Amino acid sequence: MSSEWIGQLRSIEQQFDRERESVADLRSLEELKNRYLSRKSGLLTLQLQNVRNVPATERAEFGRVANEIKAKVEGLLETLQQKIAHAEADAVLERERLDVTLPGSRRRIGHRHPLTMARQEIEDIFTSLGYTVEDGPEVEKTYYNFEALNIPASHPARDAKDTFYIADDVVLRTHTSPVQVRTMEKMQPPVRIICPGRVYRRDAADATHTPMFHQFECLLVDEGITFSDLKGTLERFHKQFFGEKTETRLRPSHFQFTEPSAEVDVSCPFCNRKGCRVCKQSGWIEVMGSGVVNPRLYGFVNYDADRYTGFAFGGGIERYHALKNNINDIQLYYQNDMRFLEQF
Amino acid sequence: MKISYNWLKEFVDTPVDARTLGQRITHIGLALESCVDFGDDSVLDLDVGTNRPDCLSHLGVAREVGAIYGLVLKKPHFKLKEVPRKAAEAVSITIDDADLCGRYCGRYISGVRIGPSPEWLRKRLEAVGVRSINNVADITNYVMMELGHPMHAFDADKLQGRQIIVRRGGVDEKLTTLDGVERLLNPSILVIADAKSPIALAGIMGGADTEIGPSTTNVLLESAWFNPVSIRKTARTLGMTTEASYRFERGTDIEMAGFACDRAASMIQELAGGELLSGAIDVYPRKPTPVRITLRRERIAAVLGERVDDAIVNRIFQRLELQPAQTAQGWTVEAPTFRADLANEQDLLEEIARHHGLDNFPATMPASRGFGSLLPNERRVRQLRDTLSAAGYSEICTYSFSNEQVEKRFYPDIEPVRLRNPMSEEATILRTSLIPGLLTTLQWNLNRGIRNLQMYELSKVYWNGGERRTLILGGTGSLRLASVHESAREFDFFVLKGDIEELLHGFNIPIRLTTDNIPKYYHPGRFARVGHLAMFGELHPSYAEPFKFRQRVYIAEIDIELLLGASAGRQLEQIPRYPGVKRDFSLLFDKGTQYATVHRTISDAGISELVRVEPFDRMESGSFPETKYSLSISVVYQSAERTLTDVEVETFDKKIIKRLEERLGAQLRT
Repeated sequence: MSSEWIGQLRSIEQQFDRERESVADLRSLEELKNRYLSRKSGLLTLQLQNVRNVPATERAEFGRVANEIKAKVEGLLETLQQKIAHAEADAVLERERLDVTLPGSRRRIGHRHPLTMARQEIEDIFTSLGYTVEDGPEVEKTYYNFEALNIPASHPARDAKDTFYIADDVVLRTHTSPVQVRTMEKMQPPVRIICPGRVYRRDAADATHTPMFHQFECLLVDEGITFSDLKGTLERFHKQFFGEKTETRLRPSHFQFTEPSAEVDVSCPFCNRKGCRVCKQSGWIEVMGSGVVNPRLYGFVNYDADRYTGFAFGGGIERYHALKNNINDIQLYYQNDMRFLEQF
Repeated sequence: MKISYNWLKEFVDTPVDARTLGQRITHIGLALESCVDFGDDSVLDLDVGTNRPDCLSHLGVAREVGAIYGLVLKKPHFKLKEVPRKAAEAVSITIDDADLCGRYCGRYISGVRIGPSPEWLRKRLEAVGVRSINNVADITNYVMMELGHPMHAFDADKLQGRQIIVRRGGVDEKLTTLDGVERLLNPSILVIADAKSPIALAGIMGGADTEIGPSTTNVLLESAWFNPVSIRKTARTLGMTTEASYRFERGTDIEMAGFACDRAASMIQELAGGELLSGAIDVYPRKPTPVRITLRRERIAAVLGERVDDAIVNRIFQRLELQPAQTAQGWTVEAPTFRADLANEQDLLEEIARHHGLDNFPATMPASRGFGSLLPNERRVRQLRDTLSAAGYSEICTYSFSNEQVEKRFYPDIEPVRLRNPMSEEATILRTSLIPGLLTTLQWNLNRGIRNLQMYELSKVYWNGGERRTLILGGTGSLRLASVHESAREFDFFVLKGDIEELLHGFNIPIRLTTDNIPKYYHPGRFARVGHLAMFGELHPSYAEPFKFRQRVYIAEIDIELLLGASAGRQLEQIPRYPGVKRDFSLLFDKGTQYATVHRTISDAGISELVRVEPFDRMESGSFPETKYSLSISVVYQSAERTLTDVEVETFDKKIIKRLEERLGAQLRT
């Protein structure tokens, strides 16, 4: 029953359907839109203006179909518009595609020296346990380096074979222990200090010795301090530094400034006590010396030896860092080869 | 100390094998270094502390083993068969210096036959690392290893005047020791002499003239006690260490001297024959008084952390031969002469601790006493390290020792700390600056093909009378390498300057640069300083030359302590609410006009809205006279109260340009 009028509308619709297929960019979309909907010359616009020429009987039907087609065309143009806009945006992104497999542009970042890192870590552990960091001179009087630590003039430890002498009564400190004496001279207990720093011994450099190295020593003097407190403190420190699985073992030894004295071993961090090359199959590695403060020291600093007891211990920072990082030559710390330093 | 397991068993019935024993004995303070099989024997190498010379013998170690397992110590048994003739008639012994020789025992054996030692004796000595010589010499060594007491045997027929005199060496006296070396003596050296001349270095080594040889028939045995300090000094002076000196300098048991002498005499009789003249010649001027020590029972828990049963304490003291007497308060013991290390209560606590077992004391934490703290300024130093890391500098750590000639090149006026006994000619003083260490480190890396470097050291320098922490920075090569992303950027003066600016900014210190007082080791045209706080620039080529640098090296010296002291508190600035206006000018200036002058001329123009002046381009030549250079500058105006109007901005511009034209003869480029 479609009339010629309606037929014309339909053929415009079909033409639109054909033409919209070939629209691929916003410009041709705009052209398409104008061709059909332009106010003056759009094909559909013209048809709608023709409505008054349509016979009255068909007019209603014509209007309905014309509006239906117009709505359809508008809808399709809108969809097309969005599709093309997306496609063009995608195309822009595609053109911006990078070869992300190229290496990143890196800024050079410096590294703290491993011995600084280890020292800071150790300082942080002990300050969290209530210790205060102290330091003192490296060029030291023999009184502080030896006498006041119960190492009298005749003692072999004072030999020029092992100690760098500046004058008869001045040496390069052989340990950080003089700082303990200097601190005790300044104050009465409670004393709870950690002294890190450079120390010097006349050892030829090899994989395990250097004539200069770094030590840290702790001293705690207070009422009621016992050997058991020394054990507990060392266990806590080693778990913190090497990991919670680490065990600590003490073996009797001899030092002039502590009594009883003990060498301190930790369970080998590499084999967990099973035995390996690093620990020479023993499962244990010696890390420091320790002991109950020899009451003779209190005589030099006017402490009441019956009222106060204390403990002290000290280890090499190189040794602790080397052990934690499986480094087998401590000379690496002093060569300062960037290929070594940049690994930390 | 090497211990033969079989030998040890003669003195104590050890219930465990050698290896187990070695591990157990480690826990009472004699650390096992190694345990190796030796035929049907095992040899334990024990680390004996300097305070325990009594354990430099099988008997001494056996005593400790007895104390571990609660076993009886079986001391050597022997019989002496003496002939009526008296030893004292054969030879006389005199001690001239009783401080240096507290006792001298002699035994005289006549008619011995010198020959090789029997197999068992040779093996024993070999096991503990002693070379067999002949039967008499071997016996003296055997007794030393057994009882810990060094001995010596003289060919008695070679003693002039049948005399032994223990005296100090004379000036210019000489003695050829057993090793064939002629030793020059002096009064600090204790010698054994006959009527005429020295025949042995007391406690260290015998003389060649009186050595036991194949033709020896009469033997004088020496078993003495020498002052440990004297022996140690002589041994060090002469550079000699012998098994004898090793023991004497740690302290031998004065009471053992007689027993050891008898023991050796009996063995000589048994293995080399001969007749033992009656009586020991025992000169003993310094018989020690017994040392009594009291231990208060409550000190055990007070010092060690837990009380120990009286029975355990008694057992330990008895096995260690301390003759304990228990009292209401604790114990009184008598320190045996072989334990010179025992002098006070604390020494006894140590004996209890190690024999009861360190593992048997609980582990506890000391009661808290509040917070600890880092060194003053350490937080700020850590911030500084972070800034340096972010700027690309890696920290180095070099030795404090240095070469005086090298140091003098940089800081010739500092009197250094000189070592009396340096380890090498390259390291005779402590460094006076961080420069040589830094340059040596750069050199080390450059020599290994690492040519783009930035490093710093924050450490001490030393002078006669003091030491102080300081900071040095060094940079060379490329800051950034050319890549597919960007072009290369060399490390240069301005990179270093930027880092110094950043660093000082971190401490809120304004930078006032000058170029005066240029140290000789800086490039005179590439140097600047910030007062005494920092000096930086390019290393002078003639100072770079000895290090063979083939690229420019830049260094900065910063007085870190001054910096930490100068650091001011930071006053926060308000973030501006109104937009700034940026304006660019290009101007021509006379060559020689420093940027600082340009900058000052602009900033002193009296424009309070001027918040930034920054040069962004500089051309040395172009479409302008050769005597000029072109500088492009951008300035930013900003008001805290309002948005600036175009008219205002225009006025500011004109004011600046006019000033530059009038004062510096600048020409605005168009």
